[in-house]
Amino acid sequence: MGKNVLLVDDSKTMRIIIGRSLRQAGLDFDNIFEAADGLEALEVLEKESVDIVLSDINMPNMDGISFLREKSSREAMKDIPVLMISTETGEDIIGEAKSLGAVGAIKKPFTPDKVNEVLGPLL
Amino acid sequence: MEIQDKMIDATKEIFSTMVMMDISLEEVMESHGKLTDTITAMIGLAGTHRGVLAVHFPYSVAMAITSAFLMMDVEEMNDDVHDAMGEIANMLGGNVKTILSEKGRDIDLSMPSTISGSEYSFQSDNDVEKVIVRFGTEKGSFMVELDLEK
Repeated sequence: MGKNVLLVDDSKTMRIIIGRSLRQAGLDFDNIFEAADGLEALEVLEKESVDIVLSDINMPNMDGISFLREKSSREAMKDIPVLMISTETGEDIIGEAKSLGAVGAIKKPFTPDKVNEVLGPLL
Repeated sequence: MEIQDKMIDATKEIFSTMVMMDISLEEVMESHGKLTDTITAMIGLAGTHRGVLAVHFPYSVAMAITSAFLMMDVEEMNDDVHDAMGEIANMLGGNVKTILSEKGRDIDLSMPSTISGSEYSFQSDNDVEKVIVRFGTEKGSFMVELDLEK
């Protein structure tokens, strides 16, 4: 596929499961980078070439909404698409995420088919 | 639909889609006794509804679930078990929030936290309405508990 993805979630378990779901969905990325919160995600985006970010919302240090806000202010990374993967599905929160540039949302729990359905068209 | 029915559906969905483990509904309860050799993962709710969503897993069940979650053998109560149990509580907490608040801004969820021990009680100091659901697995039973302040 020749693309790189960044997984942002404070749960190591969830990062493993999302990575596995990508493979099960047939979405084979060249590199899967990981970050445990928004601050780490910004550091990865500063250093690495990333095609798409899959991010949780509720995280310590810097949550997904603050991450979107900070990312959108940085010229070098503002156009990298972010797909939210979260237990948060309230229309207010998802609406705020989309207003800050999120391209969509997947609710936890999810299946590989759901990941493929939402993420596939974005690649 | 009663909130307990939605908790049951949410728990079954998490286990069928993410943990890949068969579970069965055993009992809906109003209280439980002391917890032994158990890990409890919990999420706090604040806002228009206040309380806690907790899941209580005996060690053997917690390790079996973590093994299924990660697709690798887990034979000790390590950080991976705490993280996996916290994530189950997190997903259930998100579901409960959706049940109680459609738009999502009037209830805040805490980060998941875990405690474990050989024997402990789990009870709220405040006047709460409890919904406790016990599920069965091949390795034993676990409970999902929602305590909402009245």
